[in-house]
Parts: sequence; C-alpha cells; structure tokens
Amino acid sequence: MATRRPARKGSPQAADERGLVQAAQSDPAKFDALYELHFERVYAFLASRARDRATAEDLTSEVFQKALANLNRYEWRDVPFAAWLLRIAANSVIDHAKRSAREFPSPEDPPEPVADPYLQASELRAIEHRAQLFRLVGQLPEVQKQVVYERFVEQRSIREIAQRLGKTEGAIKQLQLRAVQNLRAQMEGGHG
Amino acid sequence: MAKRSLALQLDEAVQAMLVSLRPRPEEAPGRELVPLMRVAQVLRDLPREEFRAALKSDLQRRTSMNEGTAAASGAGAAGPARAVHYQRPGLTSITPYIIVRGGAQLIEFLKTAFGGVEQMRMPTPDGLIMHAEVAIGNGAIELSDGSDAYPAAPTAIHLYVDDADATYDSAVQAGATSIYAPTDDHPSGDRQGAVKDQFGNHWYIAMIKGWTPGPEGLRSVQPYLHLREAHKMIPFLEAAFGAEAMGVHKSPEGAVLHGTIRIGNATLEIDEAHGEFQPMPCHLHVYVPDTDAVYAQALRAGATSIETPQDKPYGDRAAGVKDAFGNSWFIATYLGR
Repeated sequence: MATRRPARKGSPQAADERGLVQAAQSDPAKFDALYELHFERVYAFLASRARDRATAEDLTSEVFQKALANLNRYEWRDVPFAAWLLRIAANSVIDHAKRSAREFPSPEDPPEPVADPYLQASELRAIEHRAQLFRLVGQLPEVQKQVVYERFVEQRSIREIAQRLGKTEGAIKQLQLRAVQNLRAQMEGGHG
Repeated sequence: MAKRSLALQLDEAVQAMLVSLRPRPEEAPGRELVPLMRVAQVLRDLPREEFRAALKSDLQRRTSMNEGTAAASGAGAAGPARAVHYQRPGLTSITPYIIVRGGAQLIEFLKTAFGGVEQMRMPTPDGLIMHAEVAIGNGAIELSDGSDAYPAAPTAIHLYVDDADATYDSAVQAGATSIYAPTDDHPSGDRQGAVKDQFGNHWYIAMIKGWTPGPEGLRSVQPYLHLREAHKMIPFLEAAFGAEAMGVHKSPEGAVLHGTIRIGNATLEIDEAHGEFQPMPCHLHVYVPDTDAVYAQALRAGATSIETPQDKPYGDRAAGVKDAFGNSWFIATYLGR
C-alpha cells in the first residue's frame, strides 16, 4: 500500500515552497534555499536505509545533485517537492543495492527491492520525526551541541570529550543527559 | 543523586548502543531512560556538519559553473562532497588484518566455514594476495600473504554468529581443529565454542544468549588479544586512540579476566594470557578521524613507528605503529575515492 500525499495547494507553506522551486528553476543559484529546507529530511531517510555513514553521505550527495540537474523537469502538480526528492532518494537506494549486488554478487543477497518509490505514510512520519530532531540539535546551547556531535557523530569517548572541552567526565555525562532531555522535551512540545 | 544516576544510566546505554553491545547494568531500562534512548538512537544517525556544509558548497560550485545538468548521468558521475566520512565504506573502526601464508586458502576457509563474502582481492604479480577483504556478518577480515617485512601473524577473533553449533561444525569440516565444542557454560554467559584453523588463527564462535543487541545487531567480528600484563593495554589504547573501556573484569590479584574496549564504532577484547590462549601479536586496521594526531598520540603513549603518516594511492591517509605487546596498528583515515 503506497501512499501519495496530495499537495496542500492552499497552504501558505506550500505556496512558499512553490515560490522557492520556481525561483530555483529560473536561477539555479537559488537551489540553496531548497537544500537548506530539505537536507535533514533526505539525509534522515537515507541514513535509515544505508549500511554505514559513508554510504548515507554518498547517496545524499547523489540525490541533491540529481535534483539540481533535473529541477526543470519537476512540475508542481500533485507531488510536493519533498515527496519528489524522497522519490529520487528511494530510487537511489534501489540503484545502490543493484550496483552493490553486481559488484559483489553473493548467493545470500536478498532479492532486489521492489521498485516502489512511493513511501508509506508511517515511513514519512518517521522521516519527519528524525529530520526534526536533527534540526533541533542545531538549536541546543553551544556546549550541549558540541557534546552531542563529539559523542554521537565522532563517537568519541567521554574521557576524550572531557579532555577536549576541558571539563570533567561527570560534567560531560550531565551535558549529554541535558542535551537528550532538551531534545526530547522539544519533540514532545509540539515541534515534531 | 537521582539526576546523576540517570546521567550514568544514559551514558552506559549510549555506550552500549554505539557498538550494539550488552548494556550494563543488564536490568531492564528504567521508565525515565526509555524515551531518552529513543532520542539517542536517532542521534546516532545525526549528519555531520562538515558534510552538510561541503555538499552545499559543492552544489553552489555546480550552479555557479552552470554544470548542474552534467551531474545527471547516474551515480558514477555524482561524486560525493569532498568532506567524506573517515571510515572506508564496508569497514568499521577496527578490522583484524591477518597476515598469512596461503592467503587464497584462508579466503576459501572463511567462505566455507563462516559464510564469508569476498569483497576485494588484489593479487601480486606472482599470484599471491597483496590485499583482500572478506565480509563476515556485519564485520570484515582483511588479509594478505606474508612477506619478509610482514611475516605471518595468526590472530584470535571473537565471532558472533546466529548458530554457534552449526558454524563450529562447518569450521571443523573446513579443516579447523577444535579447541572446545560449543557449551552453555562459557563464563561470558553466551553459547560458545572455539576452533583453530590450519593457519593458526583462533576463532571463538559465539551466539548471544539471554540478551538482545542493539538495533544494528552485534558486531560479528571482534579481535581478541591475549596479553601478558593485559591491564597495561588499557591506558595505552585510551591514550593512543581515545578508546573507552566498556567493562573490565579483574581477578582479586588484578589480572584482566576479560575486558571490552571500544574505539569508534567497534570493539576489541583483551584478557590475561593463560593456558592455551597465549599472546598472538597481530595486525589491526583502525580507522580514525585524524591519522596524524592518532599516530603522534600512539608514539607518546609508548608505541614505536612502523610507518609515518602518508597519503596512499588507494585513497587513505595511513600510518603504522607497533605497541609494547608486539601488535601492529595500521592507522587510517579514508580520504575518499
């Protein structure tokens, strides 16, 4: 059961986005604004599908490069721009799986994924939730943000982070807790 | 006190999550912890700021050069933004690098015994193996044929599999000899058996019992170092690699009975050499964010240099050091294809 989400043609958000797309179609230098709006969404989807961070990054690059190259083919009919991007992303995941299977054939490879670039509504909600959380990290107090990046992205040890930031290990653990609690509170506060 | 306790609980759960290991303490997570861990699990996929900025610059460059349309011709043309992740795709932070006599035969053994999948094989002009990679589960083994500079060095590896008994049987059928048959009485609490292959490598074949790994599953391949004065390895790894001791059990006399050490997103295990499990100085391939910094830290922590940091033709910046126990550490940062 694939789900298409009808465009909310009347909403101010849709109108804004339509304006951004039209601006970028006439001047590709304005693609920036669309990138800023959708980066987290595309990355959240691809990170959940890729086996490692490097692959998620490669695929994210691929999606935005394809979107930029094909921007003039996008028509604002019944598909919001985010859905168009996620469809490119879903196709990129399928292409990547096929390339990997060709490169490293294995009898244990799972069957090729069904080429269904329409995402389930539940999956779209999960992507939005993850993307929103990624955005909220940027709004954390600077030191909490730093701890989150060092711990979860760079995967440094508490001791190493403590040394780098000139704090005690206990202080870093408290900052980690406060950051995660803040993010949880904001997600539950209606921003998600 | 309660607040501090929650900070500790969260950190232990985060540590376990980062490498999909058994959480400590092992009791069910508290009501307060569960929603926090849901947030933490999403944070594990948080994009790197450097990548976000690099991709933006890359797209800007394409638009300013009016070459956007040139990128449409498939994935091969879509070069990644320049700020790449430091780990080579397909490898984790720690991969055993087995130097062996008979590399081709070892590859066959890994395929037959453990369902390994050959990912790469680079032959030398005389038909030996210069470098090969075999994926096992969600981990990998790298290997090459030995040389005068790099003699054969058997390695001990803890292998987590779905069925310890079946894997043990297939390893024995593939030519390995039994060290002990799978048992539920192993001190780890898991079901575990052990074999030695025809090249001298030890394989501790385990199946988790009574606990659940993180969402990505357990690391299938973990190097296992049997060491004399094993407790001295921990401060070395902490100082050189920013490693984190995730659980070290000692005897009343202070000998390390078992220790799990995390570097990045992978772990290795250590214990005090005993009985049949004597030191086997080996080679380990470690991906780090900054090869030059880790190389310098390792030397300051007492390692000796094998090779100074250099950009390699295969796309890594790499260096080598030897620790006081005789293990070689190939330190690398992936620079992109």
